Amino acid sequence: MASAGESPEIQQLLELLAVVASFDDEDAAVHAAAERAAQAMEAEVAAVVLDGEVAAAVGFPDGAVPRADLLSVARRERDWIEVPGLDKCRALVASWTGVRPGTLVIARWGDEPYTVEERHLVRGMARLLELSLTMLRALHTEQRLRRRADEQAVENARLLEELRGQQHLLVQLSLIQRAISRREPLEQILGTVTAAARDLIGDEIVGLWIADPQEPGRARLRASVGLDANDLPSMPLDEAGAAGAAMRRGELVVIYGEHDAPARVRDSADTRLYAAMAAPVHQDGRVVGGLLVASCRPGRRYAGREQDTLYSFAQNVSLALTDAHTFERMNRAAHDTLTGLAGRGLFMDELTAELGRAGCAALLFIDLDRVKPVNDTLGHPAGDELLRQAADRIGALIRPDDLAGRVGGDEFAVLLRDVTDQRMATDIAARIVRELARPMRVLGHPVQIGASVGVATAAADAPRLMDAPAAQDLLRRADIAMYQAKRNGRGRFEIYSPEMADGFTKVRLHG
Amino acid sequence: MQPRNVHPGQSFDGRRWMGVGRADCADGRQAAAEATRAACNDREPKLLLVFSAITHDPETVVAGLQEAAPGVPAVGCTTHGELGPGGPTDGTVTVAALGGPGFSVAFAVEEHASGRQRESGAAVARCLDQVEPLAHRVLLLLTDGMIRDQESILRGVYGVAGAAVPLFGGACADGWRMTGGYLIADGRVLTDAVVGVALSSEAPLSVAVRHGWHKVGDPMIVTDSGDGRVYMLDDAPALDTYLDRLDAPPEAYTQADALVEFALSRPLGVQRRSGVEARNMSTEIDLEGRSIGGGGAIDIGGLIWAMEGDEASILRATDAACDEALARLGGENPVGLLTFSCAALRAVLGDQGIRREGAHIEQRAGHTPFAGFYTYGEIARVRGIDGFHNQTLAVLALG
Repeated sequence: MASAGESPEIQQLLELLAVVASFDDEDAAVHAAAERAAQAMEAEVAAVVLDGEVAAAVGFPDGAVPRADLLSVARRERDWIEVPGLDKCRALVASWTGVRPGTLVIARWGDEPYTVEERHLVRGMARLLELSLTMLRALHTEQRLRRRADEQAVENARLLEELRGQQHLLVQLSLIQRAISRREPLEQILGTVTAAARDLIGDEIVGLWIADPQEPGRARLRASVGLDANDLPSMPLDEAGAAGAAMRRGELVVIYGEHDAPARVRDSADTRLYAAMAAPVHQDGRVVGGLLVASCRPGRRYAGREQDTLYSFAQNVSLALTDAHTFERMNRAAHDTLTGLAGRGLFMDELTAELGRAGCAALLFIDLDRVKPVNDTLGHPAGDELLRQAADRIGALIRPDDLAGRVGGDEFAVLLRDVTDQRMATDIAARIVRELARPMRVLGHPVQIGASVGVATAAADAPRLMDAPAAQDLLRRADIAMYQAKRNGRGRFEIYSPEMADGFTKVRLHG
Repeated sequence: MQPRNVHPGQSFDGRRWMGVGRADCADGRQAAAEATRAACNDREPKLLLVFSAITHDPETVVAGLQEAAPGVPAVGCTTHGELGPGGPTDGTVTVAALGGPGFSVAFAVEEHASGRQRESGAAVARCLDQVEPLAHRVLLLLTDGMIRDQESILRGVYGVAGAAVPLFGGACADGWRMTGGYLIADGRVLTDAVVGVALSSEAPLSVAVRHGWHKVGDPMIVTDSGDGRVYMLDDAPALDTYLDRLDAPPEAYTQADALVEFALSRPLGVQRRSGVEARNMSTEIDLEGRSIGGGGAIDIGGLIWAMEGDEASILRATDAACDEALARLGGENPVGLLTFSCAALRAVLGDQGIRREGAHIEQRAGHTPFAGFYTYGEIARVRGIDGFHNQTLAVLALG
């Protein structure tokens, strides 16, 4: 201990180390080091030069630091410095090289020269300062790198999360698209959409409202998850919550805050929702419904991404509805509006499909007799009513799988599927003749008509009558057979035979 | 050396003068007015320095100063005893008045100094710009004794004033009540403040500071410290190491008053290039944490000593400080002295001892008026960058 007392230099170095180590800001550390060095040397002036610039200076009045002079001393161009009011002070200098070279400058007023121990001390302090600054810089760099790495990791995690979400959404959407293009039943598609919305957005409740076509301002819940919606009647839009609002406004609507559910919530006595959002659904460009998700969780908030997801889903529902509607319109055009039977186009399509499928079908071609006099005496409404009743009677006589169609003004056709025995076809033909001969009552008047029926069967190896598709061919054969029935006295059926074709002078082309 | 003046308290050319007045009436206003009039002696002062016992309401003292010398800058504080001709007192208002064309004075006040010590020091130092640029300058500083880390105030001052301006001053006291003293400046009573008075003069001004403590035994290494406290000395709890080194009585280890009494006369010594600095460790007792306070920062790895002193060594220091200050006037006859002694010295000297201290000062001063007080810390900087002291006598001699 006595030796330590004799060399205060060690003590001063240790104290300087303690001082510099207590800062993690380089500027503050350098300034504190300058002060400490001055104190240790009982000097009036101390300065630290870093990278050729005065980084800290103690002992000069504010704003009067003689930077040029200090740099000159640091470069060892001179060993004194002028301090205002004190004349020249002897300077002592110690430098270090390396990444950031620097110099410690001490200047003390008075005549005493610096001792060897003091020179050692200043050199020691300079070295210590260099090491401390290097460590500080390394620490800062490491902190900066670590911070950047952490930020990058957070960003990566966020991107990954987003990608996963996108992928999930795409998978769900492609399932829906596939269902739409496969012409799955509409209700099934809507069910798939609501289930997928629940899966992706995560709320307990999903509902699809569709506007009531008969009553504007009202909507019915067509598909849902989490709601007891069986046989729910249509309701005014104001009562349809966020979905109703979305339909009225034609834009995405978000509702926060406690409000009533528009239907009973399944598996819960609760009817209160805490958050709901809905997007409008379109058909042929018009708003026809609203797709809703809702939560019974207080504090639920919908992120921008979730709103975008709901919007995508609503668009898919719009696509599905528009497509189904088109299909519906096609169907409606394919049916005869008067009788409700298949129209000619549809009938031929079905016939073609059936022949392509099985190959053993029978065709009955039915021409009504004595319809014109009814039209003439009772008018066309009566004629229409007559056709309707005839169609009903025909429809009642065929099997569910068979198809009846109206193919001309007074002409009907019946496709009998899977006919292995010709007698099946002729039995039905006979019954049709009998039924249509029964009196009808049309607009209050008793009426009696009849029918002539031609029967033709299709067989894969049957010779074709003409160079035409099988369906056309079959229809013509049945037609020829019908004509034969007319020639044989009407009110009867005839089965096609090739000889009939020879007797024809006039070929009525159907097609 | 006996300085001689034709007129005590006045320079030979009559351009500078200092007078000291004292009054001990119970009413602060009256005491202040009387002391001022006695100090001025019908002359127009440029500056009043007032040292008032804590028993006087400082507001009344301010009123008395303004009554006796309206419009004259008056700066001062409360004390733990006032110094002046006739001996140390405990109930007076002692006023030193300075005047004459050879002096120029400017002052500055900075409040809310705690927490911004360095800034406050830098701010008050700017009053140096406002005095006439006469040949010699000194910056007088008075601080609130309750402010911690006063060394930082001085660093702030040094950063603005620079190495060419000596510093002199003290921390105000409160009669050892330890509840808070007061500063007087600008017609106001202040706390948590720093007051600076820039004084420039045609004649030399010199500052000296001495203490009478000597090291006891081997030094101890600071192995853990922080925030102005020393926690471990030689890897053991600091308080116990210090008490062990001095063979302290058992009650000092456990009882606060016993420890304070023991420590008052046994400061810590911190090695500096030109000697050992004394640090008062009797304030802020920490019996539980076993740490000791060292005033300014004592860094890890530093060496400190236990120190002892007695009346003889203290009085030798008294003489030496006065002599040095007077000698540094370079042959000029002194116009006046300001003498700031440490309140903690009274514990060693006792009431009799301080009278002897006063007598020594008076003897050194000769006919030169002097005034001062017992402070909670002395400020004196001539060399280096440090300036805050404990347990010393600081003297400013005005030529």
